[in-house]
Formats: sequence, structure tokens, C-alpha cells
Amino acid sequence: MKRKVVSTMLCAAMAAGLLAGCGSGSSSSAASSASSASSAETTEAVASGSGEAVKSGSTAAAGTADASGHTYAIVTKSAGNPYNEREASGFKDTIEALGGTCIVQNPEQATADAQISVINSLISQKVDSIAVAANDANALSAVLQQAMDAGIKVMTLDSDVEASSRMVFCNQAGVKEVGQALIDAVYDITGGEGEYAILSATSQATNQNSWIDAMKSIAESDDKYSELVLDEVAYGDDEPQKSTDQTQALLQKYPNLKVICSPTTVGISAAAKVLQDQNSSVKLTGLGLPSEMKEYIGDDDSHSCPYMFLWNPIDLGKLAAYTSVALVNGQITGAEGDTFEAGDMENSPYTVTKNADGATEIILGPPYKFDPSNIDEWAEVY
Amino acid sequence: MQQKKSFWKRLTGSREASLVLILVALLIVVTILSGGTFLTPSNISQIFRNNALTMLMALGMLCVLLTAGIDISITSILAFSGMTIGLLQKYDILHNTFLLFLIAALIGTGCGLLNGLIISKGKVAPIICTMGGMYIWRGLAYVISNNNWASGADVSGFSDFGKDGSVGPYIILAIAYVVFFIVMKWTTFGRRIYAVGSNAEAAEVSGINVDKVISLVYMIMGLLAGLSGALSVSIYASAQPNMQYGKEMDVIAACVIGGVSMNGGRGSVVGTFLGALFYAIVAKALPLVGLESIWQNLIKGIIVLAVVLLNVLTQRAMDRANLERREL
Amino acid sequence: MAGKSGREINAVPQNSVKQKILSWEGGLVIIFVAVLILGAVISPTYNFFSVFREMPKYLCEIFMMFAMGYILIIAEIDISVGAIVCLAATLGCFAGNAGAPLAGVIAVCIGVGFLAGCLNGVILTHFTELPSMIVTLGTQIIFRGIAEVSLGSGGSVSMSNSKIIMPLATMVGPFPLVFFFVAIAAVIFIFSLSRTTFGRKLYAVGSNHTAAHYAGIPVQKIRMICFVLIGTMAGVCALFYLSTTFGANTTTGQGYEMDVIAMCVFGGIATTGGKGNLIGATIAGFTIVCLRIALGQRNINTQLILVIIGLLLIISVLIPRISEVLGNRKRRAVQG
Repeated sequence: MKRKVVSTMLCAAMAAGLLAGCGSGSSSSAASSASSASSAETTEAVASGSGEAVKSGSTAAAGTADASGHTYAIVTKSAGNPYNEREASGFKDTIEALGGTCIVQNPEQATADAQISVINSLISQKVDSIAVAANDANALSAVLQQAMDAGIKVMTLDSDVEASSRMVFCNQAGVKEVGQALIDAVYDITGGEGEYAILSATSQATNQNSWIDAMKSIAESDDKYSELVLDEVAYGDDEPQKSTDQTQALLQKYPNLKVICSPTTVGISAAAKVLQDQNSSVKLTGLGLPSEMKEYIGDDDSHSCPYMFLWNPIDLGKLAAYTSVALVNGQITGAEGDTFEAGDMENSPYTVTKNADGATEIILGPPYKFDPSNIDEWAEVY
Repeated sequence: MQQKKSFWKRLTGSREASLVLILVALLIVVTILSGGTFLTPSNISQIFRNNALTMLMALGMLCVLLTAGIDISITSILAFSGMTIGLLQKYDILHNTFLLFLIAALIGTGCGLLNGLIISKGKVAPIICTMGGMYIWRGLAYVISNNNWASGADVSGFSDFGKDGSVGPYIILAIAYVVFFIVMKWTTFGRRIYAVGSNAEAAEVSGINVDKVISLVYMIMGLLAGLSGALSVSIYASAQPNMQYGKEMDVIAACVIGGVSMNGGRGSVVGTFLGALFYAIVAKALPLVGLESIWQNLIKGIIVLAVVLLNVLTQRAMDRANLERREL
Repeated sequence: MAGKSGREINAVPQNSVKQKILSWEGGLVIIFVAVLILGAVISPTYNFFSVFREMPKYLCEIFMMFAMGYILIIAEIDISVGAIVCLAATLGCFAGNAGAPLAGVIAVCIGVGFLAGCLNGVILTHFTELPSMIVTLGTQIIFRGIAEVSLGSGGSVSMSNSKIIMPLATMVGPFPLVFFFVAIAAVIFIFSLSRTTFGRKLYAVGSNHTAAHYAGIPVQKIRMICFVLIGTMAGVCALFYLSTTFGANTTTGQGYEMDVIAMCVFGGIATTGGKGNLIGATIAGFTIVCLRIALGQRNINTQLILVIIGLLLIISVLIPRISEVLGNRKRRAVQG
């Protein structure tokens, strides 16, 4: 009997501890509908009820974006990745500057599963818009359709889903442009002929696959690239260890290899380290974060990567923020030809276009080249 | 004469010997498939370097499995300690390689000790305790990282230790294996671990402080996991909160392949080494033999299961042979 | 201990074990209520409807939890279930895309789960000296490997005609359909564990399987049944998973095995076998689900949620030990 009492008490204490542990500042959440929260991850969710006011407030805002009174959510690919963090910070800063409330959600893992839970929770919170960087092109469609049925504006950025389950896609750079830039880099570094290999992330990574396909089709369609031979597409699963194993295997399997192209941030830095440590004559290019790649970029033989590309993830987040606001304000619907202002961004105003598959997208701009002349400057930024 | 014969018998009849045979067979197959280019010095050194973490942690796992326990929190401890020292460098607080290794080892030891105390004093099943640890330490690694990585430039001095061509990782591995070999074979502590694993009650009755042994075993495991965290940052020149995610199963598999029993009391340092080496060779060989990437996991799973089953069959054959000899 | 006082033995009621379990469940109910209150306090949108709307994805896992309870009670473990979910969902999706009707998809999902469970069971009953942990570790890699190979380089497949699977995703009033299936499964599993000879055999095998063997219980048959059962439930899980995502990929089901084991342990089932029951596990399962939904709606850092669940797990297994130590001390004090 005593034991029963003791364990019941302990259970209650445990629950109380939980309440105290994660309920900090929670009591005010219902009242604080307009306050912008300060903490990075656990931005206050605004009580719903503002959903009805969407249309009345939006018609006036034709030119300038106004986000006040609405809640905008961004779902990144996963927690613990600086690229995703920059993307989310660009989004958050813009939304808050426009007077809106922002929810940043980093799923526990880079899987569609984890994203589904997070999106479900956002639907319950009746946010006004969800911007998601999809981990899988297919698995999110059911939950995103549910969100749209609930009146939430759904858009994707960075990595797309099926066109029918979102309104518009913020593309960091046109698929063709990325493919073109990468194959040109390979062409340039090899000197126009020779063998190259690709080190990708996982086999189901949507954008990696589309860039690789674009590279292949460009190489096939133009005689200029006929002397380039693609040895293999290897998958490092975005794990440093596996990427290292795969890079070493590539070097060994193909003694005549001249260039490795890695369109993924984890893969490129793992490969760069392998090549540089071994003083290999094989060179590297691809897509990488400047801050991760600073060590390896240089023109001489002691550096493994002459140059690489990326876009500004902060700008991508910003563009997604302006797009979300425009969608919620009813200024655009995601149809081809829609135009909207994006504050002080470089290519503003942006226009919705159709890609090769007929899906609508907004393109941030061409990929940006990082070489020894500008790497130090950008490594400070992201 | 009798002495000599039993020595010879022990050599041919042991699990280690059968594992060596499997290893040789594997090497022959791989060498043929890769066109005779597998056993080059650079490949061999890469096998050890790329799998140094698994090999190091397998030693701790050996001790844990010997006490009939299990630890699935090791890669989370690795991530937590690795992330900590990565951030110490990123924010320019500390750049001394030795001190960083020490800090990582201390963090690991602390986490391991906590596991050990909860398991021995709290009488919590090892898998449950370390499963909780797995969530907690990995989660903390994410929380302290605050979505940042420590990368190439941040850890530049530190990563020289584990750089391709540096002997650092090999020395750590060699020292660890020699120390464990001696401890497990010739010291009281080593024998106590075996005793606890074979029969905890009997060990208790014969005056061994079982709780203390178990706490120490998990502490050692934590120490090695912490060291592996530092080694991982050094070898891959990056600290990410998701590093080595899910690799604890590889470590356990390496031990089991090496003949370590999960029921406790049976296993050796040599066997563990061979098991880890086997695992490392498979990981190295699969991308080399021209197998498409998507087939690699399937093949790896089949090989692991096949070797484990083979182990059982040889053990049965050995038992039967022993029985027959006794009946004669 | 008993030598000191025969009186004490008489003082302990016959059903003390039962009482302890009862109190554990009592505690769980209190925690469950506390979680619901917590949810309502920290999130203004946490209510009956939103919780049930978010629940289907988590409910899939509860199916496996019942069978995992059986597995843990016979002192085994199965860490291949996540991979079985992945394989069954993948092949089920292929079947749907090849034009199979709903019945076909159901048959494929459950059939794949059944066969995968059979494979585990056959290996484990033929190589009895192997622990289930290592065998299911091996088959885990294999099952996911087969899924990876059949998914090909895309690594992901979607139901091209999601209408096939839609009937499983319908809502009955505020309740998702899957909730009723979980309820039915709960009744069946709880009943057969606590009220049938099969259930008692499970406890016998788990407490001491050598003794059970000599008592004439077909230990290997029981183990086989349990592993087939959990494989089949993984198939059921895959089926309802498909109905919430209309697709599968190579990461589907990752980590489910740990989620499910955590629910069982939190519910008072010991991994060492022979202890606990499914009523506790069921309450625990729903508690964890409701907690995750609550913390999710509060937008707590997803990693922090894992830390909280890890802490809960360790504390919950420490509680019986702490109360035992406290109880002993008190008794000693009284006697002294």
C-alpha cells in the first residue's frame, strides 16, 4: 500500500517536473497574439481567429508587403544543419520585419516522416502559411493537401514536392542553370575532355537527382561535352564517413579520373578533405557552403577545389518569406505570370514561371560562383 | 606431447581461427573482384583509418557484452563529446589537441559512468537505460550545436592529428588494443568482467563487487565513445550533431561477428579485432567491387547474417567434436 | 530477509505483484491526465479534435506496440520492425500502382509483414543459441536493403492512385478510422495476454524458458508465433502508414522499433521478460503520443522532445527501484 502511494507521488512529481520544464512562458501564449517572440526555435504560436481577417486586410496591400496579424511557418529539412539554419533565419527575419509572426520548425531528422509530424502540428495551430523544404517528393503530398484543404497557403522552397500538393515552389536556381554551371565547371577543370564522377547525397534526394539528370542531358545534347565521360554516380548519403569511403573508392576504381562533382554540402566537404589530404591530382567542384569549404578552395595544387557554386540560403529564405506573405495576402495564387515585390531583394519584382514539367516556380537567380577571390568574404556570412 | 597437441587443437578449433579463415576467403574474393588491387598499403591504412571509430568502440562494447549488457547510447555520447570539442574550437576557446582529447574523453567517461550507475544501482535493464541515453545525449548534441557545424577551418590544427598520412589514429588504436588485450587476459579486473558475465550471482558470492564492475565497464565504454568523438572530429575535420547516427549497431554487429556472445561471459579481444576488421573490409570492399550503391546495404545485411549463422554452426561443430572426444 | 520475520511474509498480501502493477497503471493514468492538462495549458489549439486529427500517423505504431509487448514479455526483442514497415509499405505501394484494389494492397502489406516475421521466427527457432537482437539486426539491414533495391535510384514511390487507399484514411466523426482498428487490436491483444492459456504461457516462457520447456510448454512454437505476430502487425502498420502518406521511401519506419520499445517499457513491461501487461503499455503509448502532439503544437525544439522522452524513459524505470529502496528503508526503520 505504501509503495503504491510512493510511486503515485513520484509519478505526479514527474508530471509536475514536466510541466515546469517545458511550460516556461507558456501561460502568456494565448494572450500574446501580436508579440514577436525572441527565442530562435520556440517562437510563440499565435492563437487562431485571425484567419477570417485574411481577405479584408489584403486587398489594400498591392505593392508593399504587410504580414501583420498572420502566422507564417517554415519547415526545414532537418535540425543541426547550418544551411537550413541560414535559410530559416532569412525567412524569420523578413517575416518579423514585416510585422508577422514566424514559426521555425526543424524536424528531428532529415526524413519525410519527421516532417509529416511537424506539418500536422502546424495544421492544428491554424497557421496562415507553411513553407517546406521537402525531404521526399511524394510522401508529403497527403499531409500538404490536408493543409491546403484547411485553408493554409502551402509553398515549397529548396526541394520541391508534386506540383498538385503545393501552390508554388521557390527554386534557389533553375534546375537547368545549376546543371549547366556544374557541367561547365567540369568541362573547364578537366580541360574539355576526360573522366569525371558525381558524388551525390542519398538516392532519393529530389533536387540532387534533378541536377544530375540536367547535367547528363546537357552533356548528351551538346557535342561540346562529347569528350567528357561520366564514370559513376556514387551516393554518400550525406554522411561524412560514407562520403569518404565513396570518394576513396572512386579514386581507386578510376585511375584516370580528373574531376569529382559533388552537388551536396556534406559530400563536397568530405571529398575535399580526402583529395587534399592525399594531395591527389583529382580536382573537385560542386555545390558547397563557403564556411565549410574555405579550407579547400584555392587555385594551386595544395587546394582540392578551384571553385564551386551555391546560392545564398539567407536570400532563399527571404524570397520564401515574401512569397508566403504574397500568398496569404491573396496577391498571388501561384499561377504562372503572377508578380510580386520582394522588398530590397536583388531581382525584385519576382515572377512566377513554369518549369519544364509544367509546375510553377519562382527562381531566385543563377547559382553564385565561389572562388579564391571571394571565399573569405562569404565564409563569414554563411 | 599432450601439451603440444592441445595447443594445436586450440588453434584450429577456436572461433578466432574459423574467423581468420572466413576473413582470408573474403579477402580472396574481394581481391579477385576488384582486379587484384585491393590489398595495397594505402587501402589497408584507409581500412583502419575509416573504421577506427568502430574498432575503438568495439573494445568497450566487448566488455559491456561480456557482462551480458548492451550499450546503444555510444554514438550519441560520441556526438555529444565530439560536438562539444568542435564548438570549443569554433568559438576559439581552446585549440590544444591533447586537452581537447582529454575533454572529450572526460565527457564520455561521465556519460558512461551515469549509464553504469543507473544500470548497476538502479537495476535498470541496460538496453532501456542506454536507449534513454541515446535520445538524451544526441538531443543535447543538437541543442548545444544550435544548428551549427564545426568544420574544416574551425578545426584545422586539431584535424592534423587524424589527417590521412598522420599516424595518430593508428597509435590510439594500437595502444587501446594492446592495453585491452593485457587487461582482459592477465589482470584480475579482466577476469572479474568474465566472471560477472558468466554468472553474476556466483561472482557476487565469491566476493566480486558486481555493481562496481558493471559501473566500471560502462564507464570504460563511455570513455572510448568520448575518445571516438574526438577522433571522429579529427579524422573527418567536421563536427555535426548527427555524426555516426545509427552506427552503434555496426559496433555491436562487429563484436558478434567476432564471436562475442550477447548472453555474456564469452568473447575475446582478438575475436573483437577480427570481427571489426571483417566489418571494415566489407565496408571498404562493397563500393570497390563495382556493385551499384543501392545494392550495398542488402549485401551487407546478408553477409552479416551469414557470418553470424556460420559462427553458430562452427560452434556447434566444435561442441560436438569436444563431446565425441570426451566420449572416446 | 524472510528469516528475520515469518510474520512479514504473512503480512504481505498474496497479490502484491498484482497490486504493484495496478499502482503502476494508476500512476500512468495520472500522468496521462497530466499530459492532457499540460497540452491544454501550453497550446491554445490543443483540443479533442486536433489531437485526433494528428493521431493517425502515431496510431500506426501502436499496432506494433501490442506485439512488441508479447515479444518483450517472452524476453526477446525485435529491432527489425521499422525495416519491415518500410518493405511492406513499399511493396504495398507497388501493388497499388500495378492496379491492385484495396484488398490487394491490404493483402500485400500484411503478407509481406507475415513473411518477414516468419523469416525472423524461423532463424531464431532453428538457431536457438542466437539472441534475437543480433538476428533482427541482420534482417533489419536486409529488409531495408530489399526495399532500397526495389525502390531503385529514386528511393521513393508514391501511390499514383491514392483513391485506392483513401477508405482507410476516412474520419468517423472526430475519430480517424484507424483508431477503431487500434481499439479492436487492443482488446484482442490484452484479452489473450491476460485471460488465455496462451498469455500465461508467454509469461512462463519469459520468466524462465528452461523451466517452461520442462513444464511442457512448446517454447519454440511460442517464440515463432510471437515473431510472426509482430511481423504481421508491422504489415498492418505499413498499411495505415500508406493511408496517411500515400507513399513510401527508404527512410520510412526509421526509428519505429525504438519508439515502440519505449512505449512498452514506459508502460511497465520489463525487457528482461515475464513482467508487465498491455493495459499499462496501451496507456503509456497514448500518453507518449499525446505528449508528442502537445509539445509539437507548442513548437518545442524537436530534439528537445527526444531529450524529454529519454528522461521520461529512464525515470519511469527507476521509479519502482526508488520506491523499493524507500520502502525497505522505512520497513527497516520500523523494525529497528
